Amino acid sequence: MNRQSFRSPLARALGLGSAKRGSRHWLAERVTAIALVPLTVWFVASIIARAGSDYTAFVSWLSTPFASVGMILLLIALFHHTALGLQVVIEDYVHSGARFAAVIAIQLCCYGLAVVGVIAILHIAFGG
Amino acid sequence: MDAKPPPLGKKAPRPRPLSPNIQIYRPQLTSVLSIANRATGVLLSLAAIGLVIWISAAAAGPEPYAVIQRALVSWAGQVVLFGVTFSFFLHLCGGIRHLVWDTVHGFELRSIYISGWSVVAASAVLTATAWAAGLFVAGSR
Amino acid sequence: MIINSSDQVSRFTWLKRFPIPHNFDVMPDSRIRPGRTWPAPAGATKTKAFDIYRYDPDSGDNPRLDRFHVDLNDCGPMVLDALIWIKNKVDSTLTFRRSCREGVCGSCSMNMDGTNWLACTRFISDMATPATIYPLANMRIIKDLVPDQTHIFAQYAVIEPWLRSKTPEPEKERLQSVEERSRIDGYYECILCFCCTSGCPSHWWNGDRFLGPAVLLQAWRWLNDSRDEAKEERLDNLEDPFRLYRCHTILNCTRTCPKGLNPGKAIAEIKKMIIERES
Ligand code: SF4
Ligand code: SF4
Ligand code: FES
Repeated sequence: MNRQSFRSPLARALGLGSAKRGSRHWLAERVTAIALVPLTVWFVASIIARAGSDYTAFVSWLSTPFASVGMILLLIALFHHTALGLQVVIEDYVHSGARFAAVIAIQLCCYGLAVVGVIAILHIAFGG
Repeated sequence: MDAKPPPLGKKAPRPRPLSPNIQIYRPQLTSVLSIANRATGVLLSLAAIGLVIWISAAAAGPEPYAVIQRALVSWAGQVVLFGVTFSFFLHLCGGIRHLVWDTVHGFELRSIYISGWSVVAASAVLTATAWAAGLFVAGSR
Repeated sequence: MIINSSDQVSRFTWLKRFPIPHNFDVMPDSRIRPGRTWPAPAGATKTKAFDIYRYDPDSGDNPRLDRFHVDLNDCGPMVLDALIWIKNKVDSTLTFRRSCREGVCGSCSMNMDGTNWLACTRFISDMATPATIYPLANMRIIKDLVPDQTHIFAQYAVIEPWLRSKTPEPEKERLQSVEERSRIDGYYECILCFCCTSGCPSHWWNGDRFLGPAVLLQAWRWLNDSRDEAKEERLDNLEDPFRLYRCHTILNCTRTCPKGLNPGKAIAEIKKMIIERES
């Protein structure tokens, strides 16, 4: 709304033009969501079934091939979905130069956490 | 908008005011559930960090794991866990509603409202069931 | 409560507005100050209070909220009638747009009791007491209830809302089967009142780049027209994280459209078409 500007309304509305992408991000959010439906339900059910159990019981469950593969898949889908989702939230509300930095930071954190989680699972599974 | 700059030496006129948006717009099931989906998503992101800490503690050995377990069974830990469970089910049901919309189904206003209230009811029921089951299993151990 | 169609007035909502401060996120120039209360008409037996947003660009003052008392026995049944009554009988400076007074021109769109609708098709009897009337949400205001629509119409121009074809012009008209024509039903009826765009939270936060539901519904209207030959360019111009994908299917747009159209569905169709093109 700068009254000193001679830019035409159309020039403002066009901005820098179309990025000609965005569908990949949108689709990936859906694909990870679909993967997360069975994975998270399985995870929550497994935790409920082991409510109140001790360390050895928990670790011996986690080190079964089925559970460790499931957990690794869960972590990958979960953090990919989280990174994509939080990126949208930041793009919605952050309107300064911090936007780009925040998106990068979110992605690094998410993929970093996913790797930490996967290594921990492998550690438990193979008794490191 | 305003192609003409103010005449030299004159103060620029005040900018046009922006009419109120979120300050006056009526909360509706549509917008409230959208905000809820987003808020629970952000909360679950934090819970995901907790998940990694929890697994890492288990990998690190019985003592670190016991510390996390103690925090989880504490009064505050249980409240947080309950909030996370409800957020999870709300985000899950809301997410499924979104996936159905993405196939261009269920866009009639009536369907939008029915699916919306169903999401609210289903997440409440699922949360209650999950906690009842969890407490039962823990109690019978 | 289940809403069956957009013309259903939401009477039973727990909250009339989100529980945030009145001036949350509002720039100092846009803050609304208390206004004046105009005297009730002398001798009127049945009056209704209206709180109306006022802004006078010549005064240099902030916007304000004025209270009027409308004599319902002397006034037509619609909110637009009440506005005209106020302009004729109380304050002739009250400024608003109107033309057709029957819901086909889209001029009188405004925010009534917290949702956007056409003043000429909203019954006064459906309004709360006091009735609250603001201009369309999130618009630069020229005067009182008249928003500056320059930007949203420029956004409309971005999608090139006309038939684009590469086939040389036929001697007579471009033909369409009955079935092909029926595919733009529910989209061509849009009157560009911008109730939807002004009620879309995503357009509030990113309206500079997000095209908004009204314009995207029009985009789908052309994408879906069997005679149009510019699908490729149209989809290219739409596929953008901000122009299209800022829509998060909140569906305030579908809830508020006074013509009962479904911008949210149109946007879902565009997203689906983009995926179809890729797979
Ligand atoms: S569905 Fe999309 S366009 Fe409609 S109100 Fe929601 S975000 Fe806006
Ligand atoms: S889609 Fe409906 S609300 Fe939006 S501009 Fe068109 S007629 Fe108005
Ligand atoms: S005056 Fe034409 S739509 Fe209301």
